[in-house]
Amino acid sequence: MTLLGEFALWIALPLTMWGMVMGFAGGRTQRGDMVLSAERSIYASSLALTIASAGIIAAFVGDRFEYWYVANYSNINLEFFYKVTGLWAGQRGSLLFWALILSYFACAAVFMNRNKNREFMPYVAGVLQTIMWFFVVVLLFADVNPFERLPFAPADGRGLNPQLQNYWMTIHPPTLYLGFTSFTVPFAFAVAALLNGRLDARWIQLTRRWILLSWFFLSIGIVFGMRWAYEELGWGGYWFWDPVENASLLPWLTATAFLHSIQIQETRGMLKVWNMSLVVVTFVLTIFATFLTRSGLIESVHSFAQELKIAYIFLGFMTSILGASVVLILYRRESLQSENQIESFVSRESAFLFNNLILLGAAFAVFWGTIFPLVAEGVTGQAISVGPPFFNRVNIPIGLVLLTLAGIGPVIAWRRASKKNLQRNFQWPVAVGLVVVAALWVSGARHLYALATWGIGAFVTTVIAVEFFKGTRARARIEGEGYPLAFFHLVTRNRRRWGGYIVHMAMVLIFAGFAGSAYNVDERVHVQPGDVVNVESPFGHTYQMSYEGLSVSQGKGQRNLDFQVIALVTASRDGKVLERMTTEKRRYVTGDPGQLITEVGIRSTFFEDLYLILSAVDDADGALRNDPNAQGIDLEILIKPLVNWIWIGGFMLAIGALIGLWPSADKRRLAMESAGQEPSEPVVVGAS
Amino acid sequence: MGVALGAALIALSAVLFIVQPMFRGLHASLEREDDEMTDTEARKRVALLALRDVEYDFLAGKLDEQDYRSLKGELTAEALAALEADESSKSLSAVGARGPDGIEAEIALARQRMFADMVACDACSFANEAESRFCSACGSALLSTAAG
Repeated sequence: MTLLGEFALWIALPLTMWGMVMGFAGGRTQRGDMVLSAERSIYASSLALTIASAGIIAAFVGDRFEYWYVANYSNINLEFFYKVTGLWAGQRGSLLFWALILSYFACAAVFMNRNKNREFMPYVAGVLQTIMWFFVVVLLFADVNPFERLPFAPADGRGLNPQLQNYWMTIHPPTLYLGFTSFTVPFAFAVAALLNGRLDARWIQLTRRWILLSWFFLSIGIVFGMRWAYEELGWGGYWFWDPVENASLLPWLTATAFLHSIQIQETRGMLKVWNMSLVVVTFVLTIFATFLTRSGLIESVHSFAQELKIAYIFLGFMTSILGASVVLILYRRESLQSENQIESFVSRESAFLFNNLILLGAAFAVFWGTIFPLVAEGVTGQAISVGPPFFNRVNIPIGLVLLTLAGIGPVIAWRRASKKNLQRNFQWPVAVGLVVVAALWVSGARHLYALATWGIGAFVTTVIAVEFFKGTRARARIEGEGYPLAFFHLVTRNRRRWGGYIVHMAMVLIFAGFAGSAYNVDERVHVQPGDVVNVESPFGHTYQMSYEGLSVSQGKGQRNLDFQVIALVTASRDGKVLERMTTEKRRYVTGDPGQLITEVGIRSTFFEDLYLILSAVDDADGALRNDPNAQGIDLEILIKPLVNWIWIGGFMLAIGALIGLWPSADKRRLAMESAGQEPSEPVVVGAS
Repeated sequence: MGVALGAALIALSAVLFIVQPMFRGLHASLEREDDEMTDTEARKRVALLALRDVEYDFLAGKLDEQDYRSLKGELTAEALAALEADESSKSLSAVGARGPDGIEAEIALARQRMFADMVACDACSFANEAESRFCSACGSALLSTAAG
């Protein structure tokens, strides 16, 4: 099976190349047979990549340690589950996995458009195959072939990094990859529009849903990543602005910008070059993300002399894509001219535009902060680190402006907003925001950014709540429906608008959760059994953390687990016992023998999380012998206010995006309209 | 041996599958499908949806009367222009399918539907809301309501 997989990967090379040539040539010469051949080559390449991936999984499951990749990311004792997910555990496999998912999206795009949008499809097929070809070339020729064999077959592998032996590890990378790779499809449509010259509203309609889908996957992928960091990395945070995180945030920022700015193009025929550029930039940033995380560049910052073949290949590819896209956009600039101009600074258009500038500003700051250390080290040879303080200083104000716009955008009038319009829609929300800030101030909150975030959050919440209320009321009045039904119809008849509002609400929750970290409590203590530590919550109550002692388990549980040293801590609040919490140190038989992995203990409530970290065990050997004198530990007790709001917000964001993605009533309405019928829906609800 | 055979089979069938269109003369369509929205149709739709949006905003109490009137006037004009552009492009593309009379009638009907409760301005013939006292386009007084 593995041999067959290796062979299939080689087969994918001519297949993708063929599709690339046939797609572009067929589009240019308008030959239907060539185009059909190109489309079929996508299915064939996808099959080849599937066989290749199955080959890798078979090698993992069959403990074929003669393969370098398997030897480095697995061992005999690794649980079956993690062997299967070994496909994306390391760089080589994940590049293949990337190509695989991309090929599935390519198949979906070709299949869904087999009877429509045919003008675009030759070039769409050509672009998709170009990108797949690129990944196959990287896999085969950039020293990252997952099928590479060692000169000998080791008896056992080196095992999987223990921190990756976590269930989030199996969910988080695939969702992120789904997000990254699916951006290729809208990019392909955009390039196809540039090539065939059909630059009317069509390509925007075609790309919007795909971008929203990618955005959905990317968003949940990022949130899953935060959750994984929070649960597994054991330092109490969820975001560290490390290059891998930043790499996933960058396309998210530009895709968010695109989802907003296309609305201006749709309604006002403006910003066409801008939108086209955003699609290109977003796509290049997804490639940049692979480049950054999977080219080995980051691991090798300290050995720049080492030849980085793969980094150069990626750089060359990104430059070519950017260059070709810029040339195409310039070539079509006549067709991309704006049909209108912004009439007033105080209008929804300008709110959208401002939102775009801010998002791009944030993207640039993150981009610069991420690559600056690499560039600086390359030039000066000295390691410079750009840490969270830089990113926070830049991005917190940016985030606050964005959050404000999330409240302004939905209700400000198109074209130009009159003073009355502003007053009518904003006086109450602003008042609510101010009241919330005042109330928090009175109750003792003094942190400037946190206060601003919660105040603005209250403003946005009120705006959106009022929107929902007014919409429901209007519908109930006109249709004579009860409020629940009116509300349901309101959302379902214009999913895009109301889905968007739900996402805005989700962002409020997420930001409020971020702001909660301003009130984190962090107590580090050394304790012996029987010690009680009082920790005061920012909400005013006190926790009594009583340390009971250590419990040891050896050679149980997960198969690669060597031992667990578990600290038992009873948490009480104001004298009442809440829960018996545990936090552990673990050692795995694989990996660095000196490396101890921390498992944190989390007690999660709506308003705050109690988070325990077993920082160190005084005498691990003694503890393993159950020596009563070796029970002292360093314990870190954290209280993390509102952290749960982030996860709730992430869930809500997914729901909002799904509502926006759901096939709308538009199609039915359109069919009825073209059949000469009046849509049965009253005019009042249709919008957007 | 088995692996080699399997590999050869896979490779062969893949090649056959993708070159077959060339030999058998199978063609993928490259034409725009009939049921696809044309550009003018899309514009018409956007214009009508924008109108509905303003209507919604007004009914929901988000726009006051004055803003509603002026926005609605502009959007109506744009919607009408889009409607006419769409009709004329259809008459161009469907030569002979429908007589010119049919199209004229359709436009007239559309106009009628759209302006059922509207008042045309005497000065510039812009269609205004039924109860408008002044024309949203040129500002001249509207006689019908001024009289009533």
